[in-house]
Amino acid sequence: MTPDTLRNKSVEELAVLLGTDVREPQLKKLHDLGLPSKKSEAYRYFDIETLLCREYALLDYIPKAIQESDHVEIVDGTVVSAPKGMRIFYEACKHVEMEHFDPLYYLGHLLSPHVITIEIDGDAHVEIVHRFTRSNALINYRISLENQSNRHAIVYERFEDDAVRDTLVLYGYDMRIAPNSTLRVLKTQTLHPENYAMVASHNVHVEREANALLKSFDFGGGLGLQMLRIVLEDHAHVEAGHLLYLNSESRRGTVSQIIHKGEHATSSQEAKNILDGHSRGIFDALIRVDHSAKYSKAHQNSKAVLLDESAYMAAKPQLEIYIDELEASHGSTTGQLDKKQLFYLQSRGISVTEARKMLVIAFANTLIEKVKDSRQQERIKEEFEKAFYTVHKKDAS
Amino acid sequence: MKTVLEIENVHAKIGEKEILKGLNLKLEPGKVHAIMGPNGAGKSTLSKTIVGHYDVTLTGGDIRYKGKSINDMEPEERALEGIFLSFQHPVEIPGVNNAYFLRTALNAKRRHEGKEELNAAEFLRLMKSHLEMLGMKSDMISRSLNEGFSGGEKKRNEILQMLILEPEVIILDEIDSGLDIDALRAVSEGINKMKDGKRSFLVITHYSRILDYIEPDYIHVLKDGRIIKTAGPELVEQLEDKGYESIEEDSAS
Repeated sequence: MTPDTLRNKSVEELAVLLGTDVREPQLKKLHDLGLPSKKSEAYRYFDIETLLCREYALLDYIPKAIQESDHVEIVDGTVVSAPKGMRIFYEACKHVEMEHFDPLYYLGHLLSPHVITIEIDGDAHVEIVHRFTRSNALINYRISLENQSNRHAIVYERFEDDAVRDTLVLYGYDMRIAPNSTLRVLKTQTLHPENYAMVASHNVHVEREANALLKSFDFGGGLGLQMLRIVLEDHAHVEAGHLLYLNSESRRGTVSQIIHKGEHATSSQEAKNILDGHSRGIFDALIRVDHSAKYSKAHQNSKAVLLDESAYMAAKPQLEIYIDELEASHGSTTGQLDKKQLFYLQSRGISVTEARKMLVIAFANTLIEKVKDSRQQERIKEEFEKAFYTVHKKDAS
Repeated sequence: MKTVLEIENVHAKIGEKEILKGLNLKLEPGKVHAIMGPNGAGKSTLSKTIVGHYDVTLTGGDIRYKGKSINDMEPEERALEGIFLSFQHPVEIPGVNNAYFLRTALNAKRRHEGKEELNAAEFLRLMKSHLEMLGMKSDMISRSLNEGFSGGEKKRNEILQMLILEPEVIILDEIDSGLDIDALRAVSEGINKMKDGKRSFLVITHYSRILDYIEPDYIHVLKDGRIIKTAGPELVEQLEDKGYESIEEDSAS
C-alpha cells in the first residue's frame, strides 16, 4: 500500500480503498482533514510526504496466544506477552475522539478497527515494549488504555527493533484517565536514521480531578512525531514533559493541543530540546482555554540548545484563551551551551566532549530527575549517553 | 635557577586590545610568587593566558611548562598536566552535581596519569576529609556546582578542587576578594596545606592581606602588560606605603 494513494479522494473512494463502511464517521473526518502534506500546519516541519509516498507491505494482525511475561510486549502491532492476570484484549474502540486535529489519527483507527485494550489494575507499574521486526512495512495499531478511579498507575514505554528498514509505524493511545486517579506514562525511544519512522497520534481524556503525567524522552536520529490531544475536565491536571536529543538529519518532536474544558483545570507543558548535527526539533504546541474553563492555570515552555550551527528548532508555543479568570504563561528560548561553564569544566581537566555532555545532561535533568524510579531514571540517562556518544567520541577509560 | 613555568616575551590580546606586552616571568618549583599591580595592568589576563582561556589570543612569545611549550594545548590538557586556576568569579552550573563534577575531574586526571579511577565511595571518603578542614557543610557536595553559593563558599569550593586535584602549578586569581576573615583563614590554611616544597603558586592579588597568611617568596609588580619589578616579600611594605607609582622598573625587565 502507498498511503499517498488516499490523497484527494472522495469519501466513497476512501471507503473502497480502505475496505470500510462509507457511513463510518472516521472516514468523513479523514476526508475533511485530508491526508497530511507539507502544507498541513501540524506537519509543516516534518517530511510526511516522503513517508506517505513509499510503498509498504500491509500486515495481517492475527491475535496470538499471549505468553506470560513481566512486561507487555507488542511485536509488529500484535500483543505477544503480558504479566499474568493483566486484562488485555482486542475490541472495537469505545472512545474514538471526533475532534482530533490529526488525520493520521483517523487513518490509524480506520486501518485498525480493533484496538488493543489494556486495563490497568490498581496501582500497577506496567512496562510496555514495542518491537518492530518487519522492513518496508506499514505497521499500524492502536491501544486503548484504561485505569481505575482513585488509583495511581505508571506505564513505562520503550521501543526496540530488529534493524528494520524503511518501515512506517502509525500507532497511538486512546486514554481515558479515570476520575480521581493518576496515570503516569513515560516513553523512551531512540530512533536510527535508516530504521523505522513513526507518527504516534494520541488522544488523552483526563476526567474530573484526575492527573495525567506524560513524559517523552526521544533520542537519536530518524523521523518521529508525536501528535497529542489532551482534554481536561473539571479540576483535572496534566503535566507534559518532552525531552529531545537529536542528531544527524533527524526530524522529531511534538505537536500538541491541550484543551481546558472544565473549571479549575491545570496544565503544565515543558519541552527541552538538544539538537546536534543537521537535526530539526519540533515543538508546535497549543493550549486552548475554553469558555467553560474558568480558573484554569496553563503554563507552557520550550527551551532549546543547539550543539551544531546546522541544527534548527521549530518552536511554536501558543495560548488560545477565551476567558479572563485564569493564570497562564508561555515562552520559548533557543541558544547554545554557555562558554563560561564549558571552559570552567575544561579547566579542571574534563574533555570538551565530557563537558558538553555534562552540560546537556544538566539542561535535561529537570525532566529526567522527575522520574521517581531510580532504575528507570538511570536507564533514560544511559540511553541518552548512548545516543550522545554516537556523535561525540567518548573519552577512553 | 630551576623553573617549572616560564613565560617568555608573551604578547596577548583580548578582542583587538593588546593587554600583555612582552611579559616575562619564571616560576620556581616550591615557591610562592605573588603578582601585584594596579587595576587594568593585565593580572587576570595573565592567568587566563596560562590556562588557555577562549577570551585571550596569544600573539607572541612562549609559555613553557616543565620545559615544554603549552601554547597550542587545549585548556583541559593544561589542567591534566598539572596547571590549576582558582577563578576570581567561579561560574554557577545548575544541574551539575558538585561531587559528580569533582569525581569526573579527578578520574580524568587519574586516567591521564595511568592510575585506577576512584569509585563513588572512595571518592566521598577523600572529599569528606577535606570538607571539615575548609569549614564546608557536607551538603555542599550534593548541591549543584556553585549554584546559590555565597562568595566565600565559592572560593572554598575552588580550594576544595585544588586539594583534590593536587596540581603542580596553582594560580590563585584574587582568591581573597569577597572573603571575611574566617573564610580567608580557612582558604589560606587550605593553600598552605598544599605547600610541599615542590608545588608552585602564583598568587594574583590587589591587597597584601592574603600575603599575611600565605608567605610569598617573590613579589612581581605587573604594570601595563609587563612585569616591571621582581623582589622579595619586603616589597609589599613599600607598595602599601607608597603605591605602584613609587616602583621603578628593573633594568632587566
